[in-house]
Amino acid sequence: MNKSVNDIINALGGTGNLANLLGVKPSAVSNYRKKGFPARLHLKIVSLCEEYSVPIDNDFFKNEKIPFKSIRSRSSEVLTKTSHSILNNLTSDGYELIDPPILVSADKVLDRLGEAIADRLYIFSQQDGVRLCLRPDLTIPTCLYYLDQGLSGEKRLFSYFGKVFQFYREDNSEPAEYTQTGIESIGDSNKINADVEVFVKIQNALVEEGIKNLNTYFGDVSLFRTFIKVLDIPDLWKSKLLEKFWNENEFRILLEEISKNQKVSDDFSQRIFSLDQQSALELVRGTINTVDTNSYAGRSIEEITDRLRKKGEAFSLKPLSKNTKDLIKDFLSISDRPLQSLEKLRKLCLALDKSLIDKIDETSTRFEIIQKSGIDLKNTNFTPEKGRDVEYYSGFLFDFVWKNSNESLYIGGGGRYDNLIKSLGSETKVPAVGAALNMKRIERLSQIERVR
Amino acid sequence: MSIIKFALPSKGRIQEDMNNFFSSAGIKIDKLGGQRTYIGRFKDYNDIEVRFLSANEIAKELHNGNIHIGLTGLDLIKELDTENSSKVLSLLELGFSTADVVAAVPNSWIDVLDTKDLAEVSRDFLRLHDRRLRVATKFQNLTRTFFQKNNINNYRIVESTGSTEGSPSAGTAEMITDITDSGKTLEENNLKILNDGIILKSEACIFASLGLNWKNIDLDSIRRLLRILSAKSNAISHTELTFNYDKKITNLDIDLYRNFNAFFLNQSFVLGSNVSLIVPDNKSSLCSEFLISNGYGPIKISKPDFIYKNSDESWNKLTSGLKKI
Repeated sequence: MNKSVNDIINALGGTGNLANLLGVKPSAVSNYRKKGFPARLHLKIVSLCEEYSVPIDNDFFKNEKIPFKSIRSRSSEVLTKTSHSILNNLTSDGYELIDPPILVSADKVLDRLGEAIADRLYIFSQQDGVRLCLRPDLTIPTCLYYLDQGLSGEKRLFSYFGKVFQFYREDNSEPAEYTQTGIESIGDSNKINADVEVFVKIQNALVEEGIKNLNTYFGDVSLFRTFIKVLDIPDLWKSKLLEKFWNENEFRILLEEISKNQKVSDDFSQRIFSLDQQSALELVRGTINTVDTNSYAGRSIEEITDRLRKKGEAFSLKPLSKNTKDLIKDFLSISDRPLQSLEKLRKLCLALDKSLIDKIDETSTRFEIIQKSGIDLKNTNFTPEKGRDVEYYSGFLFDFVWKNSNESLYIGGGGRYDNLIKSLGSETKVPAVGAALNMKRIERLSQIERVR
Repeated sequence: MSIIKFALPSKGRIQEDMNNFFSSAGIKIDKLGGQRTYIGRFKDYNDIEVRFLSANEIAKELHNGNIHIGLTGLDLIKELDTENSSKVLSLLELGFSTADVVAAVPNSWIDVLDTKDLAEVSRDFLRLHDRRLRVATKFQNLTRTFFQKNNINNYRIVESTGSTEGSPSAGTAEMITDITDSGKTLEENNLKILNDGIILKSEACIFASLGLNWKNIDLDSIRRLLRILSAKSNAISHTELTFNYDKKITNLDIDLYRNFNAFFLNQSFVLGSNVSLIVPDNKSSLCSEFLISNGYGPIKISKPDFIYKNSDESWNKLTSGLKKI
């Protein structure tokens, strides 16, 4: 193995020969012998070594900025030592490093993430009118890559490293582009294992990089779903509570509203509710009174009738009891270290259907496995409320936040998103879980930690 | 000395309304070199250069800091406004070309009356159709802010460049947000405005851009012009009530101002003399009733041609704005 710059220059045919290969003067190469290869040539040297079968240690450039070998094709990607070692960690154990598309369909992204993110996207039209955007994250492009390769339904492990683009109008200090790295486990039906594996892998990458003061916030949005399902309340309240879960403020208003007697303010919908399905349809059709069915504008007459029936039904329902209302509030307010949180939830829900207890046990299992794999849950927290601000995840989820006495910084996170791939065009539902890190912030942290 | 650049709309309803307004104010605009050019002068205000642009362009040029002053619709300015860029200063509301930016849904959506319904329906729509409700609009920013304020998240904006109101029946969107003066085109297209669906009440205004150099500019012409335009727009939106002050009521002027935004032209009140009260148009009948029930009358109601105030608010706005640059 070639250990020094001199060794490599000699192995590549000496000063004159290498100068020719690099297109520089021999005096420059003599200079490299003294000062080392300049960063801009690292890529070239690695590929020359490969071309001439000159063995070179993988770690040869480790102490400097070095292009990561697997994405050498994109020569602009120069990795720092921190990026390099985190990526090395993430790409191990069969996580294939992929290069998902940078340009993605703006419509697909907006359909998934909603218009609220639209003013953060870089959207533009290509010549034929198709609207594209620069990827705002790497999860959707990875899923699109997975579908493009015709892998739908198959189990695949991916890792990635690349720029993402978001505009922060509120905060000019945030960069519009930064590097994200992460992993996605797609198509693994053993969800508990996949969840744990992804979490442990990304957490270990951070720990091995020497990031201290790391706090982890866990949640599992499927717990709340199961909880509401087993409550003894009308289905209409259940679906409303599940819908409003994603907006804390609206949820609070709804909870108060359905805990009071409903004021009758809408005679028409009450009448629709009192009729049988067929007569209700007739009445709605007659009321709309239009010959042009187009003007239902995307909604069927059944859809409109159905919603009126639900509106009418709301007036006939008994309000939530104080006990139920308090139970819902208590459920969401539990927050502690994961196993302790789950134990409190178990106690709170003892009287409810066993399927909920099973679900709580299942969540506990994840944390038991995480602990067994040697991860300390000391600086962690679990609350069933976590995740309600992003309507994206469907189950287990986590955030990493770096904290010291006066600063806290979100550096990454992840979770399960079982509905995304189907909504991007897969015919079947494909379970998936992933996590990503903001490399810009991690670089900054590892600098801070190193200075200490 | 640099010359001040003043942009006026070159086409559309806003131009017609503006022409009527200017001619009733006695202000003449000469187009330099014939009818088809896009540069002109105000007669009697020689050191203002007039540029004719579309109302849209005027909004953009104000934001970009390419013109000093512009006359355009409030809706167009607000659409370009972002929270931390307030480079455009509104000087004067002119009271013409009034219109509302509204959210409208198909008439057939008889279950949708307000934004609360819309929030629910947009969610159902995503669940039932596996895509988001599409909103056709020319006002992307205003729409986004309005929807966010009303907790409507499950929608997609479809950019529209003209005849937005036709999008739902053409099948390119489910609903629209658009500007409308009478709501008639919406009706003709089987659309209804949500009960709480007014996004912005718009009218023609005069704006100043703080994004360019105002140094070495003689502001005297613009001061005189703003004064006349203010006086005209005051007159358009106000009514004069004349009656005999034959009875003393303490704090009458304060009450009238508080309840009806009305103010007296007279500085002092001599019992038995005629007094003049200026009232906003929409409050003049209520105000008359109030006076009569307090024992005054008869009241003569007339429309003034101009109302000059002691101090011109639009000019004050401009000078205090310029101090901040």
